Amino acid sequence: MNRYAHKSEGWDWFTILIVAALLFMGIVNVYSAAFNPERPFIFDLNTLYGKQIMWIGIGLFLGIVISLIDSDYIRKLTPLAFLTVLVLLILVLFTEPINGARSWLGVGSMGIQPSEFSKFTTSLMLAYVIAQGRGKLISRKTLIAALTVVVLTMLLILIQNDTGTFLVFTAFFFVMYREGITFDPIILFFLNNIFGFRYKETWVGVHFIPMIFMIIFFSIITLYLTESVHTYSFLPGVDVKGWVLLIVSLTMLAVLVFFLVHQFAAQRSKKKIKSILVISYFIAIGYVGVVSYTYLNVLQVHQKDRIDLWLGKIEDQDGKDYNRNRALAAVGSGGFSGVGYKEAILSSPRSGHVPESETDFIFSVYSEEWGFIGSATLVVLFTLLLIRIIVIAERQKSRFARIYANSVAMIIFYHFAINVGMNIGIIPVIGIPLPFFSYGGSSMMSFLIMIFVLLKLDSQRREVLA
Amino acid sequence: MNLESRKLVFIFLFLLVGIVFIGRLFYMQVIDDKWIERAGEVAKRKIIIKPPRGILYDRNKQKVVANKTYYNLMFVEDDIKDFDTVAFSKLIGISVDSIEQRFAQIKKSLDRRTRSKKTGNDTVVNDYRTYLPHAFLKELSANEMAEIATELPDFKGFYEHAISMRDYPSPHGANIFGYLNEINATELNADRRFYNVGDFIGRTGLEKYYEFSLRGQKGVKVILSSARGKRVDNFADGKLDTNAQQGPPLHLGIDIDLQAYGEKLMENKLGSVVAIEPSTGEILAMVSAPSFDPNMMVGTRNIRKNYRKLYNDSLKPFYPRPLAAEYPPGSIFKIIQALVGLQEEVITENTGFPCTQSLVGCHNHPPASNVAKSIQYSCNPYYYHLVKRIIQQGKEKSIFKDAAIGLSLWETYMKSFGLGIKPETDIFGLRSGVIPNVEFYNHWYGEYRWAFSTIRSNSIGQGEVKLTPLQMANLAAIIANDGYYYEPHLVKSMGDDGPLDKFLVKKKSMVDPQHFAVVKEGMRDAVNEPYGTARRARIDDIVVAGKTGTAQNPHGEDHSVFMAFAPLDNPKIAIAVFVENAGFGGTWAAPIASLMMEKYLKGEITNTYKEQRILDKNFIANDE
Repeated sequence: MNRYAHKSEGWDWFTILIVAALLFMGIVNVYSAAFNPERPFIFDLNTLYGKQIMWIGIGLFLGIVISLIDSDYIRKLTPLAFLTVLVLLILVLFTEPINGARSWLGVGSMGIQPSEFSKFTTSLMLAYVIAQGRGKLISRKTLIAALTVVVLTMLLILIQNDTGTFLVFTAFFFVMYREGITFDPIILFFLNNIFGFRYKETWVGVHFIPMIFMIIFFSIITLYLTESVHTYSFLPGVDVKGWVLLIVSLTMLAVLVFFLVHQFAAQRSKKKIKSILVISYFIAIGYVGVVSYTYLNVLQVHQKDRIDLWLGKIEDQDGKDYNRNRALAAVGSGGFSGVGYKEAILSSPRSGHVPESETDFIFSVYSEEWGFIGSATLVVLFTLLLIRIIVIAERQKSRFARIYANSVAMIIFYHFAINVGMNIGIIPVIGIPLPFFSYGGSSMMSFLIMIFVLLKLDSQRREVLA
Repeated sequence: MNLESRKLVFIFLFLLVGIVFIGRLFYMQVIDDKWIERAGEVAKRKIIIKPPRGILYDRNKQKVVANKTYYNLMFVEDDIKDFDTVAFSKLIGISVDSIEQRFAQIKKSLDRRTRSKKTGNDTVVNDYRTYLPHAFLKELSANEMAEIATELPDFKGFYEHAISMRDYPSPHGANIFGYLNEINATELNADRRFYNVGDFIGRTGLEKYYEFSLRGQKGVKVILSSARGKRVDNFADGKLDTNAQQGPPLHLGIDIDLQAYGEKLMENKLGSVVAIEPSTGEILAMVSAPSFDPNMMVGTRNIRKNYRKLYNDSLKPFYPRPLAAEYPPGSIFKIIQALVGLQEEVITENTGFPCTQSLVGCHNHPPASNVAKSIQYSCNPYYYHLVKRIIQQGKEKSIFKDAAIGLSLWETYMKSFGLGIKPETDIFGLRSGVIPNVEFYNHWYGEYRWAFSTIRSNSIGQGEVKLTPLQMANLAAIIANDGYYYEPHLVKSMGDDGPLDKFLVKKKSMVDPQHFAVVKEGMRDAVNEPYGTARRARIDDIVVAGKTGTAQNPHGEDHSVFMAFAPLDNPKIAIAVFVENAGFGGTWAAPIASLMMEKYLKGEITNTYKEQRILDKNFIANDE
């Protein structure tokens, strides 16, 4: 009895509240984004909002069922769940492609997308495989098993031609990074065996994953902005070059982070973090400088054009970049406080200027209707949720639960970053849903189950001996 | 390395992305206006609303050019569902095959040739869009539409669209009002801001001259358009909308009943009747015979049916005779010669000339012992003597040089009567007539190689001199006014504005008012006294003054000409009638003018015999 009383105490209400808020906002938004004036009843199952509510209902039901299962059973059921989805991923390859991707399994509108569920099962399986290993260090066998789980699923998804989901799976490399799996052996292999060094480890190798991410992130932003010219009403007559803007922004960001660290970081690590920050700042400035200089002065015109095309800087507003351009116009025309609920001009279902406005581009509907206030709130909510999941992950005694929680955080982060990023024009169009927001049964159910399993594992964290 | 601290890497990533996103959102949504403009470009669509054209009223406030609602049967291909072609063909009364042909025809009509910049080759681009409305049938009358309308809801994707077209309650005045036709490429390129392909534009007559007023001001309705081009809502609650404004009504000087009567009298005859109110210059009636029902030229359906027929008609109903036909005026020209003679003091009121028939032919009449009698009897030799005195005033010894001086002087007189110059009136298609001058004869005969005797035919309105019927009527108005005139014009007022400024300018002839009395006396006697040439123009209890003319011409029988005004002491109407190849002026033109004046002044005809005689006469059948 004592054990069950203990369990209910362990539910993480902060996460539940944020997810509930996101679900509520999502429903309200789908009701606007897919509004059918002939069927205004929100629970009408012939409408997308009716269906979305149904999916949430099914997701919650499955979640409650899961919360009745003991977390140890969840762990034990992992290989079965993983293999089931793997079979579905293979089965799906024999279907007719829809929009160029073979990702739907089932009949008509009641199909499911195994790739959506594979994010969940792969998270579990990765945790399962790594947690099997004993001790802090990862054995070569564990490493190979972990890589097999991830790479095998990724391959199947790549064959499906679902680029978006494929990209999301690189999230697992961050989780591996957290668990100490590095690319250092490869780099050491080259350095020591070929160049004759005697390193035991390299900083670059160890932090390869976040480094790559940061490099790509800064490269895109730098290439995107460096050539542009900005004018501001508070600086009349001054044309601010893009690269100047970048350096100013970076400086402002560094000062902000420095202030945050100064205020909130633990006393003992303060000095270290501050020095890392200062070094990172100069590296970032230097990097921006090198990339800008190369882009502006070294590259040939045709090389620049190729980059610009990929970044969407050269736009074919009414052709290839139609979706993106309309979505950006919708977001941008939201203004500070939005045009009002169900008043969207561009992205409303009636005007239909933004395609896929109930799925991949749903953020544009929300942004147009709720403006900067609404969209900033959404960004804050997601950021809080992500940080909270990391906090949950780090308080787990069980390695299985920790790895799983980190996976959930990174997958939601990828979805959030890519989806919102493409809606605001800093990432090329990659069709993946915004968690809890975009219409879609498979993704909604998959994310809800993911969260429920996370909450369940967290609620029983004290019973498990790591 | 402490792996646990790597969570900070995650948190740093989340914060970094969160901050970048919020920064970017703030920039896009709050600072940068570019996207709002872009949204406008994408979703705003301007719908141009063109008002119905301005209405034309006659001088008695009767509607003479109105608008009538017609309907286009529209369709949007994307909206067509379960299309039953058999039922549809029954409904609109064309065969099933024709329905398919019509769809194909609409599509093909939107082909557009463009030249590729790359290859230089012509390629055909088709502008047909399945989500935009197109007209399946055009210009259906209300009755035709009513037959279809009840069953139209059964055919999804089809609907009716009201349009406004011209309507002429009284089927007269076609040559005055003109007609509308679909705009052509030149007209379109001249004013792309107003016109669109398929618009109608005034092609002739008042519709053309007053096009800019009649077309009104277009309104703009800004709508929120869907990606498929459909109206979703008003944009910004209609704050950017402007209303279409119908063109102002035009109030004409025309009396439509008089016009109709004139056209009736001129049936089966070729020629013109022009009536002017002398005190204002307003044109009361302007008949061009033969004429046609202006309703025949309303809308593309009618124009396609009738244009070629009218255009190819050997009697040229489109030809605006009153404005453009230049005729020798015949004896009515003697009036102006007499006036110039009096003004130049080469004669006095009581100068008499012998009727020397060896000089120029004449008819038997008592001696023309003064100016008035010369007019009453229309004595040809009298005017030979008179005009010789005007032209050969003896200012130079050489008769050739003298004639040149005389003719130049005479020409300035003529111009002061609006002859030999284009009237500046409010209609297109005018011609100036011909007043031969020094250059004219120098070119023909050589300098100083001609004198009065060479050009003497002009004395009696033959030879080189030519007038349009409008000029003849205006001449009558000038005489009625004792020497001045207002430019003859059709539009009295436009909306609340009076006539155009140029019609308020009093134009004076070079002949002083005192010289007109004697001329008028002669004209009165020509109508009312024995031996007068225009006795058929007499009206009981109205004193008519008139002058006949019989214009010889190389095209056959003489033209019958008459100009007059009435009543003599307070002229209300001045008129010129010209009947081609009808013989003596007193026989046909005079009674027609008389009937017109009586109709206008009394509102009824007392002498029905006179009327019936005119109505029965068919000069066209005689020709054939």
